[in-house]
Amino acid sequence: MSSKIDYEEIAKLISFLEEKKLAHFELEVEGFKIKITRAVPSAPAVEAVPVPGPQSRPKPENSPRLPEVQPQVSGDTLRFITSPMVGTFYRASDPNSPPFVEVGDDVKKSQTLCIIEAMKLMNEIESDVEGIVTEIFVENGKPVEYGQRLFAIQPVA
Amino acid sequence: MFSKILVANRAEIALRIIRSARELGIKTVAVYSESDRTSLHAILADEKICIGPGRASDSYLNVANILSAAEITQADAIHPGYGFLAENPRFAEICEASGITFIGPPAPLIKLMGNKNEARQEMRMARVPIILGSDMIIDTLPEAKKIAKKMGYPIILKAAAGGGGRGMRIARSPSQLDEQFAMAQNEAKAAFNDASLYIEKYLPNARHIEIQVVADKKGNVVALGERECSIQRKHQKFIEETPSPFVDERLRGKMLKAAEDATRHIGYESLGTFEFLVDEKGKFYFMEANTRVQVEHPITEEAYGLDLIKEQIRIAAGEKLSIPDGLRMRGHTIECRINAEDPATFAPSPGKIDFLVFPGGPGIRVDSAAYQGWRIPSDYDSLVAKIVAHAPKRLLAIKKMQAALEMTAIVGIKTNLPLHLAILADSDFINGDYDTQFMERFLAKNGPPK
Repeated sequence: MSSKIDYEEIAKLISFLEEKKLAHFELEVEGFKIKITRAVPSAPAVEAVPVPGPQSRPKPENSPRLPEVQPQVSGDTLRFITSPMVGTFYRASDPNSPPFVEVGDDVKKSQTLCIIEAMKLMNEIESDVEGIVTEIFVENGKPVEYGQRLFAIQPVA
Repeated sequence: MFSKILVANRAEIALRIIRSARELGIKTVAVYSESDRTSLHAILADEKICIGPGRASDSYLNVANILSAAEITQADAIHPGYGFLAENPRFAEICEASGITFIGPPAPLIKLMGNKNEARQEMRMARVPIILGSDMIIDTLPEAKKIAKKMGYPIILKAAAGGGGRGMRIARSPSQLDEQFAMAQNEAKAAFNDASLYIEKYLPNARHIEIQVVADKKGNVVALGERECSIQRKHQKFIEETPSPFVDERLRGKMLKAAEDATRHIGYESLGTFEFLVDEKGKFYFMEANTRVQVEHPITEEAYGLDLIKEQIRIAAGEKLSIPDGLRMRGHTIECRINAEDPATFAPSPGKIDFLVFPGGPGIRVDSAAYQGWRIPSDYDSLVAKIVAHAPKRLLAIKKMQAALEMTAIVGIKTNLPLHLAILADSDFINGDYDTQFMERFLAKNGPPK
C-alpha cells in the first residue's frame, strides 16, 4: 500500500470493516497512521413499559454523576484482560525493570502481563490468550478495581 | 476525626452512612458489586470502587478486595453497616491490623456476643435475666429430647452462631423435635458454617422488645428507650415502633438498667442492641445482643432527636459520648419496612422500578436507596425503603403512616405495601394488643391482602 491514502481508499476501508463487522482497526505505515473504531449498536432496551406521569423530566442542575459504563465493544476477536481483584497496577516487577509488555508486543498464553499489588502481595496477571497487545488501559502505579480493563489483546490464530 | 471512610455495605444503609459522614465533613468511598453499578450508594459517594461480581461472597464479603479498596483510596476507617461483615470479628481484627479503624466494637466483643450461647452465660454473670435454656451445645437428638422434656414444650432450637432471625426452629412436641433437630443442624451449618445448637424455652405469647445502647471508649454508657419489634414474620421484623404500647415507665426503667448493666459488665463500646423477650406479666429475658447498627435505628433517632451513625463514627474516632444522660423520647414513632416482595406469597420481586413516589411532609422520614428507573438486583435482600412516621401520640402516628403509605407509589415491582396497610387498619394492632405471633394469626385470619 502506498503511503498516500486518499479519501476514497478510507471509505473503502470503512465499508470493508462494516462488512467484516470489525469494531477496531489500526494501520501504521511510514509517516501515516490510521485508527478506526466502529460504534457497535447497543443492545435494544429489553422492556418498554409505559411510565405514568410526565414523559420528560427536566434535568436537575446538579444531577449526580452517573456511573460510567464501559463501552460494550464486542470487538469480535479482540480480547480484554481485566483485573481479577482490587489493587495497584504495576507494569514491571520492580521500578528499575522494563515493563513486562508494551503495545505491539507478541504475548504467549500464561505470559505475565503485569502485577497487581493487593494486601501487600504481588499478584502476577497472566495472558489467557496468545496474541498482540494492542492497548494498555492503565498507567503504571495506578489503582484498579475489580473487572477493570487492563489490556486489549488481538489473538493470533 | 477520620478524613475518609470506606462504607463496606450497599443500598439504604450505605447511603445512610454516607449522609452522616458528609455532614461531619468526612469523605466517603463506596464499594459496589457489578450488580450495583447503578446503585445510589455508588453514585453518591465521593469515590467508588468495584469489588467483585454480584454474588455477595465474592464482593461485599470479599475481605481482601474491600481492604485493598481502603488501601488504594487511603481510607482511614471502615463502616460495615449491618449484615455482610458487620458482625465478623475476623474482619474487625484484620482492619485494625491493617491500621484502618473498624467503626464498631473491638473484635473480641463481637466474638463474645456472636456466640449466642456464650453471650447468654455472660449476661447471667451481669445479672441480666435469661430464658431457661440448655446452657450448653446439644449435639444429639436424645440429648435434646432429655432437656426439652425437663424444660417443657414448646422449645426453640437456636444456632449458637446464629443471628438476624435465622437458624431458629420451634418444636411444640417430641415428634416435632424429631423432625426439626437435624434440619436445624443442617440449616445452622449451611448459614453459619457451624452446626452447634442450643435449646431455649419458647415463650409463644411474648413480645420482642429491644434496647439501644451507646457507649464510648471512656466507659460512658447511655441506654435509649425501647423498640417494639413484635410485628415480625419468620423472625424477620416488619413493623417497629417506639415506645412499645405494652411497656410502662416502671418496666422501661428496669429494661434500661439491665441493658446498661450488661454494657458496663462486658466493657462494650460503640452502638449495640440488647434484644429481650417480654412475657404477658412484664417479665423480660435477654435473647441476644447485636454489635452493630440495627435496621430499625431510625425510630430511636426520631424519638430522641439523635443521629446514631454520627455518634458511632465520633466514638470510633475516640470522642466522648455526646448524648446527655436522662434524655427523654418524644411522641410516638413507627417504621414500616417496605420490601420488594409479593404481599401474598412473600416471594422476592426484584426488577425495574418504573415509577416511584415516596411520601413526605412533616413527621415523615424515608430511608431508601431506590429511585425511578433503578433495577433492584436479585442478589441481595429485598428491603426497598424504611418509612418512618413520627407524631405526638400513637394513634396520630398510625394515621400519619396510613396516609403516607397510601400516597406511596412503587410501580414495576411487587411490594408489601398492601400488607402494611392491612395491618395498620387491624383493630388488635391499633389497640396495641399484639405479640410475636401476631403476623401468623393475622395472615391465617385475613388471608393475603387484596
